Parts: sequence; C-alpha cells; structure tokens
Amino acid sequence: MSTLSALAHVQAMETMQAVPRTEFRHRHLSGRPLVIVPLAMAGEAGAPLAAMVGSAKRNGTLLVVAQPRNRDQRFAFAADLGRIVMNYINSFRQNRRGEGERSRYTDAPQILVPNAGGVKALADLGRMCRFRATSGPYAVPDVVPEFGMWLTFLVDRAEQAGTSTLLPVTAMLTEHWATGQSTLEDQNLASLMAWIAPPPGLSVEQAMADAENPDVCPPAGPPTSPEFDNRDLAPAIRRFDTAHTLGDPHALAAAETELRELIAGQIQPTWRMVWQAISLLRSVPEAPRTAKRFEGDCKAFTKYSDYRDSDGPPQRKRDNAIGAARRLGWLEHALAEFESDMAFDDRFVLADRRSAGEAFAGTVVEADPGRVVTTDKNRRVPRPRVTVRTEDPVRLAADTKLISPSLPTGHKAMIVSVLSDGGTTRVTVEITGGMGRSRVPQQGTVPELGQRIAYLPDPGWRPAPQFPASDATPWTHSAADDSGTDSVIPEDAAAEEWGNED
Amino acid sequence: MKNPVDDRLDALRGSAKRLDYNARSLAALENNPRCTLRALLDASGSDKAAIATHVGHPPSFGQSSFAITRGNAFEAMVKDNGCAELLRVLRETLELTLPEVGYEDLNDVGGDGRSKQRHERTEEVLLRAARGEGDATLFDHPMLRLLIGGHKVYLEPDLVALRIDGRFHVVEIKSFPIIDDQADSTQVRAATTQACAYIIALRDLLGRAGIGEEAVSDTIVLVAPKDFTNRPTGAFVDARKQVAALTRQLSRIERIGDLVDLLPEDLTFDLDPTPDKNKQPRRPAEELAEALDQVLVTYRPDCLNHCEMAFYCRSRARAEASLDVLGPTVREQFGGIDTTTMVMGLARGELTPSEDQVEIAAALRHAARLRAELEDLGGAA
Repeated sequence: MSTLSALAHVQAMETMQAVPRTEFRHRHLSGRPLVIVPLAMAGEAGAPLAAMVGSAKRNGTLLVVAQPRNRDQRFAFAADLGRIVMNYINSFRQNRRGEGERSRYTDAPQILVPNAGGVKALADLGRMCRFRATSGPYAVPDVVPEFGMWLTFLVDRAEQAGTSTLLPVTAMLTEHWATGQSTLEDQNLASLMAWIAPPPGLSVEQAMADAENPDVCPPAGPPTSPEFDNRDLAPAIRRFDTAHTLGDPHALAAAETELRELIAGQIQPTWRMVWQAISLLRSVPEAPRTAKRFEGDCKAFTKYSDYRDSDGPPQRKRDNAIGAARRLGWLEHALAEFESDMAFDDRFVLADRRSAGEAFAGTVVEADPGRVVTTDKNRRVPRPRVTVRTEDPVRLAADTKLISPSLPTGHKAMIVSVLSDGGTTRVTVEITGGMGRSRVPQQGTVPELGQRIAYLPDPGWRPAPQFPASDATPWTHSAADDSGTDSVIPEDAAAEEWGNED
Repeated sequence: MKNPVDDRLDALRGSAKRLDYNARSLAALENNPRCTLRALLDASGSDKAAIATHVGHPPSFGQSSFAITRGNAFEAMVKDNGCAELLRVLRETLELTLPEVGYEDLNDVGGDGRSKQRHERTEEVLLRAARGEGDATLFDHPMLRLLIGGHKVYLEPDLVALRIDGRFHVVEIKSFPIIDDQADSTQVRAATTQACAYIIALRDLLGRAGIGEEAVSDTIVLVAPKDFTNRPTGAFVDARKQVAALTRQLSRIERIGDLVDLLPEDLTFDLDPTPDKNKQPRRPAEELAEALDQVLVTYRPDCLNHCEMAFYCRSRARAEASLDVLGPTVREQFGGIDTTTMVMGLARGELTPSEDQVEIAAALRHAARLRAELEDLGGAA
C-alpha cells in the first residue's frame, strides 16, 4: 500500500465518508450481468442452501435446498441453477466476428457475486459438479457437469487481474473507494455500502452498526448467521424432514413454503444491495483501457466455448507442474499489465504509484532534443535526452524502461540517472521509441523544456516461458506415482459417496 | 497456598465463578499475544462475554447448530466400530504400518465422567503404554491436564495414537473438508494450534514420569472429510513452530504478575452479579467501562474473529481515532504514528514532526499535495 492510499483511508475515517481512490472504474460492467447470491449451510462443504439468481433486480429467481444434507436435493439444486446460468452463458454464444483463428464472440458473460466468499462457493460448486457422470449409478442431469466445468472456467479466470467474467462486488467497490474501516470489515458488503452510500436518513455510524446486526442486515453469505440457523432455520428444516418422513403432502408443502420465506428474508436484502452497488458502479465512468481487457475476456470466453463444443474433458483437480508454472507466469504478467494500464489511464492511480516511488511526474528542466547515436548496425538514430525535476520520492533505478501517459502512445524511454538535488530529484531519461521513422523525431514526441510529464515503468512484453514437454518433465516435478492427481478424471468420480444423510 | 498475584487476579475477577482456560482460549493466545486486557481477563478467569455485553458491546460469534451437529456426527462416524474408518485412513491414506491395534476408551471411568478421575485413569493408561506395557494403541478422548498460571486446566483431545513410528501422535478430527488434498489454511491453522496445547499437555504428563518429550511427536494427524463426501481422509501437519509459539505464550502467563503490578490497586472487572440464579450484573456499566479503559488494549481488526471483547476494543479505538481501526496494512505505512489526528496534522503541515517522524512527515505532505492536486482538478464524486 502506498502512503497516498493509506492517507485516503485515514481521510475517510476522519471525515466519516468514503474517499474515491480512482477516477475511473477499471472493470468492464456488462449491460446485462448475472447476479448470483449463494448461501451455504454452515459446517458442511459444498452444501448449498439457497441461491438467488437473475440478470435484473426485478426478476431474481430464488432456489432453495430444503435439506442441504440430501445428495439428490443438492444435485436437483445444481441442475436448476445450472440451467439458469447456462441459458445466460449460451445467450452470449450467438454473435461472432472475425475469420478463422481470430473469430470470436462479440460479448462475454459476467457473473457478479456479493463477496469473495461467493466466488469460493461457486468454486466448490464447480468442483462438486464437473466430474459427475450423467449415466450409471448416481447419475445427474446433463446440465450438471457442463455447469460445473463452466463455473470452474469462470473461477479460474477470476484469479487473473483485470478480468471481468466473475467478480465479487465488494472487490469492485474497494477498488474505487477507500473506507475508514479495515480490509476485514470491507469484505462485509453491508458495512462497505454503509460508507459509500448509507441508507437515506442514516449516518455512516448508524449504517455501520446496522450492517453488523444480523437481524437488520442478514450476512451476504455464503454462511447464514448462526442466530438465524439456530432460531429459525434448524426448526424449519426439522419440520420439513418430519413431513417428508410422514409423506404428508400438505405438511410438506407448508414446510417448503415456510423455508422459502425464511430464506427469502435472509437473501433478499443482499440481492437488493448488490444491485444498488451495481448502479453505483455504473455511475463511475469506465477507464479507456477497460475495453482492451474486455477483448481478452471475449477471447478467453470464445476459446473455452469452442473447447466445450468439442466436448473436451473437465479441468483437472490440480494443475501439474508445467501447467502450474505456466499459469503462475501468466497471472503475474496479467497483474503487472493491469497495474500499468490503471496508472496509465487514471491520474488517481498514477498519483498512488508516485507516492510509492514507483512512478514520477515533474517539469522538464534540461533537454537535448537533437541527440543522435550510432547503433551497432551503424545506423544513426535519434536518442534525445531530457532531465525531469520532480518532488516525488523516486525509487526507480537506472536502466528502467518507461512509458508515459502524458505523451503520444508508443513513447518509450529509459532512465539514465536519478540524482537527488536537495528536496527534489532530477531524473534524466533517454527517449528510445515513439518518435516516428525519420531521423528527426516527429513534432510533439519529445518533451520540451518546461513541459509537465509523468513516467511509469513499462510492464513490457515478456517472452512465453519455455517448459519441457509433459513426458520429459524431470522426476522431481512429475506426479506419475500419484494416480490421484495425474488422471484428469478421478476414478471415483461417479461414486463420490455422500454417506449418511441424517 | 495463594500468592499475592493470585489474590490480585481474583480481585480483578470479583465475585464471579472462575472460568478456566480451555484448548480454544489457549489457541487464541497465539492470535494477539500482546494485548494486556486479554491477558488479564484470561488469567483472572473473567467472563469476557458477560463483561463485553454489560458495557454494551456483546460478542456476535455464535456457533451454528448445523456446524456442531456435523462435527459430532463426523467424529462419531470416524470412531465407529473401534475406529475402523480411522484405521483405514492411517493405513491407506497415510500409509502407516500399524501391526496390532488396541482401542482404549477414556471417555469415562466406569461411568464416572469427572475430569479428575478421568485424568488419573488417562495418566495410568498412557504411562503404561509409554513403557511398552499393555496393548492399547488408540486412546479415545484422554483427559490431559496442564498447569497454567498455577491453575489446573483439563484438556481433551479427540484421540491420541501410539506406535506411529513408536511415538504418541495427537489426532485431530475436524469436519471441514480436504478438497483435492487442500484444506482451508485458516481452519488448518486453528486446528493445529488447538492440537499444540494437547502436545504440550501430553509431554507434561509423560515428563512428570521422567519420559522425555521426544515420546510425543510434534506432527499431528488431521482427519477430515474427503472432498464432498462423508468419508474421512488424513494428512500430517507439522506443528513444531506453533508448539514453540504456544510454549512461549504459556511462559508469559507465568509472568502475569508483571502486568498486574502496573494496575491501580483497586481495579476490578467485577460485575457484582445478583446472588440468585439470574446473575444479573448490578455494577453500573459506566463504572465497569471506566475500569476497562484503564487497561491497555492492542486492538486489531482480526480480533473481531476470535475475541469476545473485540467490539468494545474497536469502539475504544474509534473514540481515540486510533489507526488500529484501519488494520495493520494501513498502520504499517505510518510507523510510529498512532492516531488519525496526528496523520492529518502532519499531512497538512499543522504539526511539527518529532525527530523520528521527519521522514514519514515528508512522505505524508507529499501524498497530501498529490491528493489536493487530484481534488483541485475535479476528482471523481
């Protein structure tokens, strides 16, 4: 965290209102996102209790599992939710543009959940569904494994910085606003909204207190509040079980209705709050480079969609050594790109980087615009040098490659020296690119004396790392002796037992 | 015989019944060891939940009955039929060779469930086993004992197994899942810390009979549901670091006297409960709050997850405009500064920094200038 970000939190705490930390919204926000609010049963892994799902505030569908410990009901729920989500995803598999390799869908789905726990719940659900068999013992409807694989795709993609196909709303809000509370409390959607947009007539303090009172603001899940579990939910599930055992249709219907109403009371406040957060986020202008990243989402969506069309196997339980290394490299690169994009687009983020010494801005105090050098290939090329005086605490070293949001795109430079000069710092840079093709730099591509300019490090292009072929992996990194992680589909896939249901 | 420190601790607690440490509160020691208030309340056996409630900040973490039922059902299932499932895990998943198995139920002594009696029986059985007598290898719910600050604390691990490499191993049975060989790290950590108390108590028991601590392994066996099933799987968890940390915290409790000496003579957290069974606190809440306010607290947002006093401490931190409210990541940026007032004062240049604040003050003024620039240009709403 930079001093500026930390200061924003202190300011928020002092003024008792959220402080904007970016000028733009850096995440693509679909015109038709699908919101899912998942609830799970406490103490049980992958035991969904309910979900509210829909692509408009007014038409959310509430799905409830009356007895979460019952395996059949679990998969009936997964199938119901799966149908809704697959309908939504399939509606994006219509319009393609481009030919051959470059052909891709023009839009991509976007699933929004209330918090990071929601992503985890979908990850668990995806893992639970994607290996299920659709025939034989413990067969599940066709949609279940398909849904599981898509969920896994979305969850994997969500790990990559800057993507928009699956996002927790709390993360989008905290990217834009700093509150006067801790990261832990920011994960509570109601507490976060209390700072950004407290309900009419309430102060931030009152809204914060309400946000932590489960009777006023039921938790956004996945777990429900223990008070609710013990006071309302447990007796209602017991009544359902009794009716089920007795085979009394009236009592069963009554018990189901009661459960639905109870859960609706817990889930609807969060549902409304997620949509309120979405409209707040819509009011923040989208950053210019978001469109480019969304292209990446469409590309990844198309690629996976085509893979599904070719009936490829589900994602493996765990990456192998090469897959994991490749993925890690990719994620690191995406993060560096995203951070750089944000700083390039957004002067708030740039200021943040400046305050941390990772970028600088200042005035050109010396310029040698006509400087020319001879390259190894005996070509004479322009290499102008300028010196920028800045008050920023620059922590960049010589030879760092730079880009600049204040000059035409394509501008590239490299630090020659960083010299401290009293309270200021003088950074000399050599301009290496973005000056056009002729021997004299084009007008406006070299900063002039007295010009204000900003520079930040170039995340750069990185070659794809080379790895050995999978059959040539050294024994230290192979899992050949561990059948459980090596096979794509676990042998116990169909027979993953649930054991006692009581 | 009571020493003066004990008298002071009793006075802090007042007329309420003493609450002893348990595996959970011992584990919590590791979470925020530097908090004086917590150390005093725990060492004096005060009822933190009752105190926090009386000053208007009731704790909010109940446990869902679903989680409890699930936990108990899973443990029962693992131990069914003389631990048949557990043995399968030990042999198949953890690939241990357990030649013969003898199961010893230590849940009660001939129907007597009192801790003291059970502890004596446990001691006898475990010592015999350690000396290689008898054929028991699995000990179900032994009752261990630890002396903490001069008070006996009874601890009850799920299971202790012998003859895994010839050593005693603590087995923790937990109902959170291990999905594709991975479990939630927070939950594993909590389970390990809890098991550490058992390891220390077990070593203490054997140590009293002159058996060295290497007889008890500092690797615990974690047994938990595999994936989304009800079938158990197992994993070894290395607890060395946490055993050392907990040992250190326990030795700090022995030095609680140092903290007590710093308190005002007449300080007490007594709720003055009515003598009937309702135990209504009669002490004015403001007076209790004043007493609490005299003790140093080290609030961290993380406390909200495990300390009953957390809401009280947070409101106190907010009232003091303490940076603790924002959590360690923000706090670390302002080394040596405690309050938002000080941060803003330095940032605006209204306060003169002390010698060791010069550097941070410069960074703050720089950040404030950047912020002002952004807002001048018409920032986002």
